[in-house]
Amino acid sequence: MLIVLVTGLAIGSLYAMMGLVYNVMYSTSKVLSMTTGHLAMLGAVFGAWFMGGLGWPIWLGLPAAAAVGAAFGLLTDVVAIRRVITRSNEHLWLLSTLAVATMVQQAVGLWWGTEPRPFPRLVPQDPAGALDQKYWLPIVLVLLMAAGLGLFYRKTMFGKVFVAMSEDAFAARARGIATNRVRAMSYVISGALGAVAGFATGQLTYAFFAVGTLLTLNGFVALAVGGLGSNMGALVGGWALGIISMVASHYFGGEYQQTIAIGLLMLALLVRPQGIFGTRQVRAV
Amino acid sequence: MAKRFFGISPLVCLTTLAAGLLAGAPAQAQQPIKIGWLSSLTGPLSSAAIAENQGVQFAVEEINKAGGVLGRKIELITRDTASDPTKSVNFAQQLAFSEKVDFIIGPVNSGEALPAIPVIARAGIPNLIIGTLDELTDAQKYPRAFRVINTNTQWITGAQGYALDVLKRRKVALFGDTTGYGTATQRQAASFLEKAGIKPAYQVLLDPNKADLTDDMNKAKAAGADVIMPWSAATGLLARILNARGDMKWDVPVVGHPAVMALPIKKLLTKPEYWDNVYAAGYKSTTYDASGKVPQRTQALVDAIRPKLGGEIDFTFWWVALGYDCVHVIAHAVKTGGSTDPAALQKALETTPYAGVYGNYRWSATNHNGFPDGDIVVNRANSFKEGSFAIAPGAR
Repeated sequence: MLIVLVTGLAIGSLYAMMGLVYNVMYSTSKVLSMTTGHLAMLGAVFGAWFMGGLGWPIWLGLPAAAAVGAAFGLLTDVVAIRRVITRSNEHLWLLSTLAVATMVQQAVGLWWGTEPRPFPRLVPQDPAGALDQKYWLPIVLVLLMAAGLGLFYRKTMFGKVFVAMSEDAFAARARGIATNRVRAMSYVISGALGAVAGFATGQLTYAFFAVGTLLTLNGFVALAVGGLGSNMGALVGGWALGIISMVASHYFGGEYQQTIAIGLLMLALLVRPQGIFGTRQVRAV
Repeated sequence: MAKRFFGISPLVCLTTLAAGLLAGAPAQAQQPIKIGWLSSLTGPLSSAAIAENQGVQFAVEEINKAGGVLGRKIELITRDTASDPTKSVNFAQQLAFSEKVDFIIGPVNSGEALPAIPVIARAGIPNLIIGTLDELTDAQKYPRAFRVINTNTQWITGAQGYALDVLKRRKVALFGDTTGYGTATQRQAASFLEKAGIKPAYQVLLDPNKADLTDDMNKAKAAGADVIMPWSAATGLLARILNARGDMKWDVPVVGHPAVMALPIKKLLTKPEYWDNVYAAGYKSTTYDASGKVPQRTQALVDAIRPKLGGEIDFTFWWVALGYDCVHVIAHAVKTGGSTDPAALQKALETTPYAGVYGNYRWSATNHNGFPDGDIVVNRANSFKEGSFAIAPGAR
């Protein structure tokens, strides 16, 4: 049972990181980008290519993979967000981000191939059962990422600008904040974070072109359960989803894994639509 | 003047008609034989299709260079279905009704073939099937659809025979995946075991992207399993089974789907020795004999196609041989039938066998599965060399 919990915690950490990435983008744009899981896919694929294919060391491979994610984040903002949210109040960003996600997945499939490929070991360690790096790396990283984002929002001027935009983008703009630039920066940061998440969990997911869609979905489920906009919510939601999926698979078989995940989302939305740590939105009339 | 004109005109007409017919006959003879090639050259199921495409393209080039079939060149019309069943149906319709092809090869996997085959059958176009699900052929419902590849039943019975009769194992752990193919195949394997009087010690369906299978392997071990039989084509899942087994230091044999021998698996293994004691259903045509040689027809194709493949064969060669055979089966049917008339092609395939590289095919009016049971063998997974494998210990 220990291995079930450890695996659930590790995979839940990946979902939680996807939730954090959603939050960063959502804070400045109010968009839930369908490219979120694909950022992790890019991190795993490019990390495997840089380190496994080109033989780069980790100190070069990791920032390079993060840079690829950051570039894709910026591209997402330019191609799928900027024009769409300024010209339409409808949720057309759902379609535009889905289109970008589909295109990047197809492009990676054509270039990288459609079979999963190995991700190199990041730390010198023999296979160590439940203490193996493929489990503890994502768990450690998600804690660092959540703590880092917390400090960023509270202690840096740029982070406070993110918070200001999150609360009222129009008021922030009225006070002279270049909201377009801030939003673009949030997509760059989230791109880098998503890619680092994929890099750290590459040994679990392999470098596989089609893993993005699943991560987009499960990251969203984690966030919906935990509460949109809450980093603590993303953590709790991600871990809950990961552990429940693995326990369900242990007791009922793998065919119920996704059913459980979606069932959890439905239940959470019915019982507490704002999520565990979310705040109820009140619209002044 | 008018009388003279009318007197000559019938003669002129007849002469013109005769000249037209004489000129038209060779023109028709020179019309190409149009083959539609429905293949998933991109998308998640593209690996095998890309290899098959090498064989198809090579066979077309080879036949055309030799002057074609009955003096007619082959024109290959390729459509990439991108592993999408909807596209395969649309392209099947396009090939049948717009391109008016004489023959269709594909689609190349069962998921795409299931909806496309009825469409091709309704158009009356002869069709070569490259999907293993048993339901794909039916001589009554689809009288012009002929399977070139083996059936799922042949893979399962081949692997199961090895596990039960050669390795003498009785406590089987059956692993499948949650795709339509994985689920159906695991069910089929369970029913075959039941017929042999064996109830699986453990069986499970797994999400193909499940990140870790240690728990499932622990449960199989706790259930007393003495052989693991995975029925999935997902290389990631198969590699995770082998990695979990290796990390547990559990030396239980793994016998199952041919995908467990695919080269991408080797790259996904934590240690190379995790591929030891792994066996899968394979083919006589791509199996080395005791003297380390593959059958002569296979070697001839390997030698001929090697320059096209850049000198190195780093994928399972049976896919190339299968693609190559598909084109030659069509050439054989056209030669035997004397034309591209669909009824003549059907009769030709139902009444004459064809000895190919991948297999020795024999179809009949009631059985459109042409691949013989005897051409299936069990291979040792870690013996890959130049696209072929060694036979498993004790297998025949």
